Amino acid sequence: MADVLDQVRDVVDGQIDFEGQKITELLATILLVISGALSFFVGYILQDIKLAVYVGLGGTALTFLAVVPPWPFYNKNPVKWLPAGYAADLAASKSSQ
Amino acid sequence: MYNSLTRIQNTFGFFTTVAFVVAALIAASDLITPRTPTAGLLAPTNVQVVKGRPHYYSSKKEEYAIIKFSLDADLSSLFTWNTKQLFVYVTAEWPGPGNATNEAVIWDSIITNPSADHLQNIGPVAMKKLKRSAEGKTIDPSRGLLKLRNQKPKYQITHPSSRIAEKEDVTLKLHYNVQPWVGLLTWNQGQDIGPWKKLAGGISKTFNLPALKKKDAQKKKST
Repeated sequence: MADVLDQVRDVVDGQIDFEGQKITELLATILLVISGALSFFVGYILQDIKLAVYVGLGGTALTFLAVVPPWPFYNKNPVKWLPAGYAADLAASKSSQ
Repeated sequence: MYNSLTRIQNTFGFFTTVAFVVAALIAASDLITPRTPTAGLLAPTNVQVVKGRPHYYSSKKEEYAIIKFSLDADLSSLFTWNTKQLFVYVTAEWPGPGNATNEAVIWDSIITNPSADHLQNIGPVAMKKLKRSAEGKTIDPSRGLLKLRNQKPKYQITHPSSRIAEKEDVTLKLHYNVQPWVGLLTWNQGQDIGPWKKLAGGISKTFNLPALKKKDAQKKKST
């Protein structure tokens, strides 16, 4: 039971590693700028303001989909922590010498 | 960006910025779109002044001018992707004492761009017809072509003094108001501003309002 709850919490929390955070930041900015530019030019060239709105909102929805869930792609460089008690062991071994 | 909530917040925050910039660009795109409205003909065809009451239970009697008119206008260049609707109105103007000018609207009309047809306040049958008239079109400049013949005025005009018969130097003027999806409202301007040309024509020759129509005289004629 506790395992299941832990899994649910992890999905909702959706933490990603530092590299992943860098990528999402960049991806969100680029995708939103592109969808904004696309919505303006498509709307202007086809003279269709409704299409511009839909392109803009569609691009934004796509950005949310790409950036918000903790895709495995964003967790490829987990931080390598030192093993537990490593520092204490080190200190102990030093004092015994 | 370390958990889902901050990613939602950051993405939405930047989305609002992008949406605002795109809206500003759309509004600015109007400035580089030429506007060349013209009015070929604007003339009164039948002018009457009658006595009437402002409402049914009023004891006050006022004079009302009923000005029928003909109008030819080409406002098609005002319809762009950012036009929601166009408000067109015709006013009658006549000089008052001193330098004052009296101005009263006698007729108006709302012309929607197809993108705003659903906003038009009309019945279901007329709505269907309106939508079908522009099926598959995102803008419909042909709606800006006005051709009115002996058009009945929507509003019968009077004056605070209740007297309007035999007024002199009356002119009819065509006005328009462009209402965009994003941006500022714009009216017909007095001079050219960049690619926006001023309304060519749209002012009738001066005419005089006739004397009050006598009910008795008319009755005698008809009998």
